[in-house]
Amino acid sequence: METLHSILPELIRIVICAIGGAVIVFGNALVMGYAERKLAGHIMLRPGPMEVGWHGILQLVVDGIKLMGKQLVVPKQADKPLYMLAPILAFAPVFAPLLLIPFSDKLQGFDIDVGMLVILAFASINVLAILIGGWSSNNKYSLFGAFRSVAQNVAYEIPMLISLLAVVFMTNTFSLREIAAAQSPVWFVLLQPLAFLIYIVAMVAETNRAPFDLPEAESELTAGFHTEYSGMSFSLFVLGEYANMFIVCSVATVFFLGGSSGIPLPYFEYTGALWFLLKVYALMFFLVWIRWTYPRTRFDQLMNFCWKYLIPFSLVNLLITVVVVKLI
Amino acid sequence: MKSYFSELFTGAWSLILGLKVTIKTMFTPIVTVQYPREKLEITPNYRGHIDLIKDAETGTHKCISCGSCQRECPSDCIVVVGEKREGVKGKVLTKFTLDFTKCSLCGACVEVCPTKALDYSNEYELAGDARSDFYFDILKRVEERK
Amino acid sequence: MIVFEYIAEILFYGFMILTFMGGFMAVRSKLLMHAVLGLAVSLFGVAGLYFFLGSPFLAMMQVLIYVGAVCIMIVMGVMLGSTPDQLATKNFSGQNLLLAILACSTGFIALFVAIGQTKFAPAAQRVGDMSIRFVGENLLFKYCLAFELISVVLLTAIIGAIILARGGREEKAS
Repeated sequence: METLHSILPELIRIVICAIGGAVIVFGNALVMGYAERKLAGHIMLRPGPMEVGWHGILQLVVDGIKLMGKQLVVPKQADKPLYMLAPILAFAPVFAPLLLIPFSDKLQGFDIDVGMLVILAFASINVLAILIGGWSSNNKYSLFGAFRSVAQNVAYEIPMLISLLAVVFMTNTFSLREIAAAQSPVWFVLLQPLAFLIYIVAMVAETNRAPFDLPEAESELTAGFHTEYSGMSFSLFVLGEYANMFIVCSVATVFFLGGSSGIPLPYFEYTGALWFLLKVYALMFFLVWIRWTYPRTRFDQLMNFCWKYLIPFSLVNLLITVVVVKLI
Repeated sequence: MKSYFSELFTGAWSLILGLKVTIKTMFTPIVTVQYPREKLEITPNYRGHIDLIKDAETGTHKCISCGSCQRECPSDCIVVVGEKREGVKGKVLTKFTLDFTKCSLCGACVEVCPTKALDYSNEYELAGDARSDFYFDILKRVEERK
Repeated sequence: MIVFEYIAEILFYGFMILTFMGGFMAVRSKLLMHAVLGLAVSLFGVAGLYFFLGSPFLAMMQVLIYVGAVCIMIVMGVMLGSTPDQLATKNFSGQNLLLAILACSTGFIALFVAIGQTKFAPAAQRVGDMSIRFVGENLLFKYCLAFELISVVLLTAIIGAIILARGGREEKAS
């Protein structure tokens, strides 16, 4: 009886966290899928989805049902086990980082002292999933898409890590909650503007979104690494992409935009979470905005920008941060 | 070294300008017309298939069944039949059909008509699932029109 | 509390099996891609073991570094190695077999002796507060030798890559 007593709260916590994670992943995909299409429409002077529900608000629900009902096609020459594994590998790892994001002071799944590393480690598995999917499809476009994704993600992981490291040096911890708490008077975006800019650029590249969407450049590669995927296996890739967007924006919020800090509303205990989500979705809006503004970069431009601009600047920024932290 | 930084700044500035353009566009009113529910007004210059003009005074068409349009038609898609009737001056139109599957909208019939009885219609919602949907009875159309 | 210990025990054996299966797959697969993925599975298992031993920092660094490394290895493998639909030929025979057994047994005996003579501190202690200062001091003072030895591994990898790439190029030229 006593063992049950000690396990039960922990078990309930795990179940609630899992459900919360699933709600965030699917809810975020619904909201962002709709918002993305709507904003894309308005930027092009057209209304976007209008037919299903009021102003097309149920469009994504209907799309989801359609995708679930579709046949899973496996190409004849594909490597079947790997082909089926890739979408799962792209989707499953997004749950671990979601448990560590501090939505407010009280609202957090788990807090472990290497939180930042856990998020980055699980986010990097996405590249492997894309590579496996692209290779096992046995299609030249898929393979090219996967190769580009690897080159791009491995290159942009470096400035991303270094820019985050500058913040870690200032707070002296890897724990996300403590980093968010460390910026109660001044947000780090004001102290580390260069790191923030570098992180934003690297973030766009890491999530494979326009203008860095070379892995799925439809004008050259049909649909890149997910050319052969259909139905639910395709939608797992899309869900993974939107969840990854949410995660990188949350990390930006925690590291640079003060986490859940904001003006507290009266009569509401969880204002922190509201502020947090507001900041995250503001960043997501920015992602959508630049997606529909900039044309796709060429591959050499992409690599040049990373190796000639982002990495040197982030290193210089890190160096200055270290010197300043040491002197103060 | 100098070009390295100047490139960076001009590049960044152009990116900001691009963002400004799209955000402005986002808040300008939408120009899309939700077609089946809203419709644009058709310009008077629009040249649809031919129609007989209804004369406001007499309440009928001005066709004298001369058959000029039938002869002039390069695609041979107009059929005009008129008959002589007791007590009526000239011929009476009994049949005026247009085979729109062959019509090339050249407008030769409209040009040649001696009484200016023909005109282009504003009809553009022309979709059908059979060839026979495009055999128009122009005479019936003018009689049914208010 | 006893239930947690059982779960931990199960996880430990799970990670061990994962490590061995991955290693087996890496050695015995006929497709290069499968072999490299086996390596990834094996490395993931090792990361799990680090986690089990109470060092989440090392576990996460393992995942973070080796996922990227594995990806690059696959890319290199596809670009430099045989085409994906070409199966690897069996070359475990004659001199190769002898050399392989010799190398493996030497490594095994060396490790076995080393492990047998070491006195291990009990694991699962809380190692530290994971602040930057703690990580830095440990890496650059306490575990300095291990840290430097990793760079030897990288050097070997670079030399191997150069040999592979040059070999491929010379064959084509002739």
